[in-house]
Amino acid sequence: MIDTTANEARAGQGGEAVANVHPSYLGVFLTFARNSLVRDMTFRANFIIETVSSLSWMAMNLGYYMLIFRFTSSIGRNTGWGEYEFFVFLATTLVVNSIVQAFFMPNCEEFSELIRTGGLDFALLKPIDTQFLISLQKIDWASLSNLLFAIGLLAFSLAHLPAWPTAVQILLYPLYIACGVAIMYSLMITLSATSVWLGRNQTLYDFWFYITNFSRYPMEIYHGTVGSPLRIFFTYIIPVLVVVNVPAQLLAKPLEAQSWPLAVFALFAAAASLWTSRQIFRRAMLSYRSASS
Amino acid sequence: MAIIEIEGLAKSYRIYQKQEGLLASVRGLFHRTYRDVQAVRGIDLAVESGEFVAFLGPNGAGKTTTLKLLSGVINPTHGTARVMGHVPWRRENAYRRRFALVMGQKNQLWWDLPAQESFRLHQQIYAIPPDQFLRRRDELVDLLTVRHLLSQPVRELSMGERMKMELIAALLHSPEVLFLDEPTIGLDVVAQHNIQSFLRHYQQTSKMTVLFTSHYMKDVAALCRRVVIIAQGQIMYDGSLGGIIDRFSGHKMITLVFPGDSLPQGLSRFGEVVEEQAPKVKLRVDRNVIAESLAAILAQHTVQDVSVEDPPLEEVIAEMFSLANEQARSAQAGLEEVPSPHA
Repeated sequence: MIDTTANEARAGQGGEAVANVHPSYLGVFLTFARNSLVRDMTFRANFIIETVSSLSWMAMNLGYYMLIFRFTSSIGRNTGWGEYEFFVFLATTLVVNSIVQAFFMPNCEEFSELIRTGGLDFALLKPIDTQFLISLQKIDWASLSNLLFAIGLLAFSLAHLPAWPTAVQILLYPLYIACGVAIMYSLMITLSATSVWLGRNQTLYDFWFYITNFSRYPMEIYHGTVGSPLRIFFTYIIPVLVVVNVPAQLLAKPLEAQSWPLAVFALFAAAASLWTSRQIFRRAMLSYRSASS
Repeated sequence: MAIIEIEGLAKSYRIYQKQEGLLASVRGLFHRTYRDVQAVRGIDLAVESGEFVAFLGPNGAGKTTTLKLLSGVINPTHGTARVMGHVPWRRENAYRRRFALVMGQKNQLWWDLPAQESFRLHQQIYAIPPDQFLRRRDELVDLLTVRHLLSQPVRELSMGERMKMELIAALLHSPEVLFLDEPTIGLDVVAQHNIQSFLRHYQQTSKMTVLFTSHYMKDVAALCRRVVIIAQGQIMYDGSLGGIIDRFSGHKMITLVFPGDSLPQGLSRFGEVVEEQAPKVKLRVDRNVIAESLAAILAQHTVQDVSVEDPPLEEVIAEMFSLANEQARSAQAGLEEVPSPHA
């Protein structure tokens, strides 16, 4: 027998009772996380290979900078980015990247594909925020091993600095990491969403990798006739420079007086990026034309 | 009151016309020509609560586009639609939790995971209380006899089994309106039959409203009392399945069986001889003269057996589709002759 009680209940209440139920976003997110883990575990060999390859990529990165510090004592003259300060910076880059890679990268990549193939149809049917659904459906658990590596490097580098960060610094750090992740994510989802307008096989998603390359170095290196315009552009227009710089400065070069405006700006930049990306995402969803079946 | 109300619904797409060849492709970088394709051109339709309506039409007729419009997946160019009082393309959650769309050619279940994991996800997204979820899932799983497949990854299921899982996923939240886009496409006869009987049974018990597209006349005959034929983005017929023949076919089929192995001559003056295989002859005869023709045949020849039938539905519909295409082509040609005021 079919369970008609639900339908009967609705008929009496005009469907309103059911219509007003809201999903638990945390519950949905945990189910995504669980399903992704189950899937990753199914392909065990793939999971191990991915973990090993991304860890070795990080180790190579670290080795490369260790090599550079054999020839110099700091990145840029009088910038304050000595070896261990810079390793705090590098660890921060890796923390932000591994979070973006674990949570958002597989989804934004798939988003363009969903637009092209019409697979987005199903996402638009669900009674839940579409951007949430698209952005967090899949979690790449293998990338979280990078996060552990990055936190290890961070702790190791901090131990080699003259003084341990204060409680306030440690508490603010995750907040600024969250801001950095928010900026990177906003840029990524915005670029993926462009496939709606650009059409088949065309997306600006790859552009993300080019732009975010600028975030990987201390902003002090951007000065002079070429550097200054770049610094201004990537701080105030596309704020990728604050992503790593602000949290890294917070721990490695305990915010000097002139850094405070930047720290306040980072909060604003994160909020503005998220807001802008949401507007663009919404517009993209209105222009979505699906693909023929 | 109608649960689905559509007025003047239209959807057109602008499609980039890619020319052949490399040079033309380079030129296309700078100067592009587009063509407007009208997928749906002004549809009016009302569907009452609890109806099971079939959408028939050739490929590209606008059936899927209509279902996507009603699901809110795409926006219309013109016109209005209301489903349970909601405008679909506003994509309100209050609407989205009361209907479901199943597409035979696309799947929404996680490919690498067992279907039950996707069901759990649906439970979360639709906020279905746990006890209700389990009860519904078990009922649907038993009705479709797929309990033993619940823990098998979806990619390892056959097409028929996958479609059953898709249906379960779509029905878990007890939708009041269901849009089905070719749910039996590519399935074997047994699987088709299973899906048909499930849908019939389910719809009768739950009184859900169903709008359904298919190319298989058997599906339609088994499930729907009301048929809407759509061709070239317009509704050409809205009525019963039987009514299609009365309205669009001017013929009946007379099958004659003669004694012995030889066939009499001159049968073609009564109608078109469609099949001739001694001792049997099949004639297509004008509906208006069926009685006279039959009387004349029986008077002139000794006949062992005779039957008079309607022509096969597929044939009538195919004729109708090609008629619609022709009309559209001539309308298009007519339009091209008249210079457009916007040109």
